[in-house]
Amino acid sequence: MEDEALSNISGKAISLDCQTHSSFCREFTVSSPKMSIGKVMVYTCSVWLLAYGVFFFTENTAVLSSAILITLTGMMLHIHFVKVDHESLLVIGSLGIQVSSSYASGREVTTFIEMSRIKDIVINEAVYLNQIIYYLCVLLKEPSEPNVVSSVVPLFQSSKPRLNCLAKVYKSCQEILSKCQ
Amino acid sequence: MVENSPSPLPERAIYGFVLFLGSQFGFFLYCLWAYVPEEWLHSVGLTYWPQKYWALAMPIYLLVALMVSLVVLFGINMNNTAPLDSVDNVTDVFAQGQRSDCYRKGGIPRLEDVSISEVNKMFYLSSET
Repeated sequence: MEDEALSNISGKAISLDCQTHSSFCREFTVSSPKMSIGKVMVYTCSVWLLAYGVFFFTENTAVLSSAILITLTGMMLHIHFVKVDHESLLVIGSLGIQVSSSYASGREVTTFIEMSRIKDIVINEAVYLNQIIYYLCVLLKEPSEPNVVSSVVPLFQSSKPRLNCLAKVYKSCQEILSKCQ
Repeated sequence: MVENSPSPLPERAIYGFVLFLGSQFGFFLYCLWAYVPEEWLHSVGLTYWPQKYWALAMPIYLLVALMVSLVVLFGINMNNTAPLDSVDNVTDVFAQGQRSDCYRKGGIPRLEDVSISEVNKMFYLSSET
C-alpha cells in the first residue's frame, strides 16, 4: 500500500506491499514488473525471421518447425523457472520468517527459517557484477554459537529493490525482531 | 639506511640508458636474423638458428596472449568476487577473533570492527531529522 516510485537496481518500477496481520506478524511483498508484450513480440519475430533466413538458403522445412518449437518451449521454461512475479517475506515474532517467491506460471518456492536460527535481518552492501548494491539479508547462527554468523540468506534476489524500499522493510522487521528475540 | 624514493638518480639514468641501448641493439639483431636469407647465414657458418616461421609467429603469439590475458584477468576478478550469499560479505576471521576488552571510563575505545547489526541500527533506525 506504499508506492512512492520505488524501483529496482536497474531503474524499473517495482511495488511494495506491507500488511500488518497482527502486532507481531507482518508480511512484505515486492512485485517485479510484468513481462511486456512488446519484448515478447520482438524476440519471437527476430527468432522466426532468422529461421526463415536459414530456410531461404537451406530449403529445409525442419528449420521452421524447430524454430517454432524452440520459441514455444523457451517461453514456457522462462515463465516457469526464470520470471519471478512477486517475492514475499513473512515475519512472525518468536516463530520465524518465511521467504517465498512465486513465478509467472504460478509456481511458488517457499522457505521457512525458525527464529532460533536467525541472528538478525540487515541491509548489507556487496559487489554485484560491476556495481555495489544494497540488499536485505538474513544472518543465520547456529544455536550452539550465538555470536558467530554461520550463513547469509539474501532476500528479494530477483526483484532487487533499491535502498528506500529496503529501509522501509528493515525498519518494520526490526520493530518485530527487537520485541520478540 | 638509504630511503627508497622514486626520484631520478644518476645510477637510474645509467641503467635506463644501458637498457635502451641494449634493447635497440637486440631489435637490430632480430631484424637482421629475420631479413637475411638463409643461404647467406649458412655461408657465414651460422646454421643452428630457429626457423624463419618464428620471426612472424612469435610477435603474433605475444600480442594474442596480451589480448587474452586482459579478458582472463577480468574473468578471474569476477570469479573471485564473493557471491551475495557468502559470509565473506559480512565478516571474516579477523573480525570474529578480535578481543573486546573493556576500556577505562573516559578513555578512547580501542579501534575495532563494528558488527553489521550495529551499523544498520545507526544508519536506518536512528531518527532522521
